[in-house]
Amino acid sequence: MSHQAPSNTAAPMIEFIGINKFYGSLPALVDVNAEVKKGEVVVVCGPSGSGKSTLIRTVNRLEEIQSGVLRFDGQDVHAKIGSSAMNHLRSRIGFVFQSFNLFPHLSVLDNVMLSPVKVNGIKRSKAREIALQLLDRVGLSSKAENYPAQLSGGQQQRVAIARALAMEPPAMLFDEPTSALDPEMVGEVLSVMRGLARDGMTMMCVTHEMNFARDVADRVWFMDAGRLLESAPPSAFFGSPQHPRAQRFLSDLRAR
Amino acid sequence: MTLLFNMIGIVSDNWLLLLVGQFPNGPLGGIAATLILSILGIALAFPLSVTMALARLSPWPVLRWPATALVYIVRGVPLLLIILWVYFLLPLLIGESVPGFVTMLATLVIYEGAFLSEIVRAGITALPRGQMDAARALGHSHLGAMRYVILPQALFNMIPSIISQFVSTIKETTLGYIINVPELTFAAGQINNRLLTKPFEVYFMLAIIYFIVCWTLTKLASTLERRIAARRARSMDGVAAPALAAAPAGASRT
Repeated sequence: MSHQAPSNTAAPMIEFIGINKFYGSLPALVDVNAEVKKGEVVVVCGPSGSGKSTLIRTVNRLEEIQSGVLRFDGQDVHAKIGSSAMNHLRSRIGFVFQSFNLFPHLSVLDNVMLSPVKVNGIKRSKAREIALQLLDRVGLSSKAENYPAQLSGGQQQRVAIARALAMEPPAMLFDEPTSALDPEMVGEVLSVMRGLARDGMTMMCVTHEMNFARDVADRVWFMDAGRLLESAPPSAFFGSPQHPRAQRFLSDLRAR
Repeated sequence: MTLLFNMIGIVSDNWLLLLVGQFPNGPLGGIAATLILSILGIALAFPLSVTMALARLSPWPVLRWPATALVYIVRGVPLLLIILWVYFLLPLLIGESVPGFVTMLATLVIYEGAFLSEIVRAGITALPRGQMDAARALGHSHLGAMRYVILPQALFNMIPSIISQFVSTIKETTLGYIINVPELTFAAGQINNRLLTKPFEVYFMLAIIYFIVCWTLTKLASTLERRIAARRARSMDGVAAPALAAAPAGASRT
C-alpha cells in the first residue's frame, strides 16, 4: 500500500447510521451502518443492483433516504437544511460519475473553472490558474481549449476528476468511474485515482476494478440486495471473505 | 397564362401597398408589418416562454400551477378567441383605445409564449439527467444549474423548433385581418376591394408570397436541424466537433 493508512482513531469523514431507502416498496438500502475515516480509501463492491451506486449518491443527496442519519465531515446531510446550505455542502463533496457528465457546451478549461467562479466566487484569473494546475495534474493541460466531444472517454473522465478537485473537496466520491470506458482507457483513470490516494485524499469508490481495490483500498465494503454485508481490509476480504454471498461473488469473478 | 400576367400586373401596380401598406401617409402595413409583428411577437414571447418553462419545471407548486394553467388554457382555445378577448378586454383594463397592431402583438406574445414554453420545456427535459446531477453535485443552485449548464445547451438544440414556431407566427398574423391590423392579408384585401373582379388572382398571389417567406424559413430550420443532429452524433462518438465550439460560448462568459 503506497499511501499512509489512517489510524483507527482518525475522525470519520462520512458516517452512515441506520440508512434505509425504498423505491416504492422495494428496499434499495437496508440498515446500512458504516463509516469512512478521514484519509481512508474505501472501495464498495458487489453485484449490479446491490445498492452501491444508490449508497454513494445518498452522500451528496442526489438520492434521498427514508430513515437514518448520514454525516459528512460532521454535518447531517439529510437534515432539513436550507437550499443554500445544501449547495454549499454539495460543493465540498467531490463526485465523479460513471458517464463523466462533462458540460459539452464548455471547453475543458471552462468545465473546470465554472463552479469555482460561479459557486465559490473566485476571480476568473485565479480560477484559471488553479484549473490549469489541475489539468496538468491529470495530464491534460494540452487539451485545455478543446471541447469534451474532442476527447476520448478516459480523457473526459480525467477532466471530470479535475473539475471535482477544483472545488477543493475534503473527500472524493467515485461512482463506477471506469465502467463506461473502453478497456485500454481504464488504466489512465485509475492511475489518477491512485495518485489522489497517495496524496492522502479521503475516497469512497464504487468500482468493479478488484486490482485497484487490492492495491489502493484501506477497506473493502461488500454489498448485496441493499445490505452492507462485509467490511474488511482488502487482504482479509480477498483472502478469506466471511459472508457466503461475498465468497460466491469473488469466486464468480475469478471464474471469468 | 392570362392568370400569370394578371398577377404580375397586380403586383407591379400595388407593390408599395403590399410592401409597406399606407406608409408613410398612414400606418405601416403590408409584408413589413407582417414581419415586424412576427419578429416582435417571437422576440417578446421568448423570455416569457423561458420563464414559464422554468416555472413549470420548478420544484415549487406555487410557480408550477399558474404556468401550467396558462399553457393549458392557451393551448385549448382558438387563437381567434384570444384575439377577441384582448381586443375587447385590453381597452377596458387600461382605460383607453388600443391600436390593432398592439392588440395583435399582445395576443401573439401570450399565444406564442405558451407554445414556445412547451418547446423550451421539452428542450430542457431532453438533456441527459446527468447534466443537472453534475451541476448540483458541484454546488450550483437549481437556477444556477439552469443558467450555466442546462439552458445554454437546451436553447441551442431548440433553434430549429423556434424557427418553425416563427413560421407559424407569420401565418397567424393573417388573423389580424379581422381586427383591421394593416398587415399583408389586409393589404391584399384592400387591393381586392378596389379591383372587384380579380379575387382569384389577388389571393393566389397572396398565397405565393406567404409560401415563399415560410418555405425559405422552413428550409433554413431543417438545414440547421440537420447540422445540429450531425454535431450531436459526432459528439456522441467522441470525434472532433470543432464547430460546436463557437455557438453557445457566449453563455459561458457571463
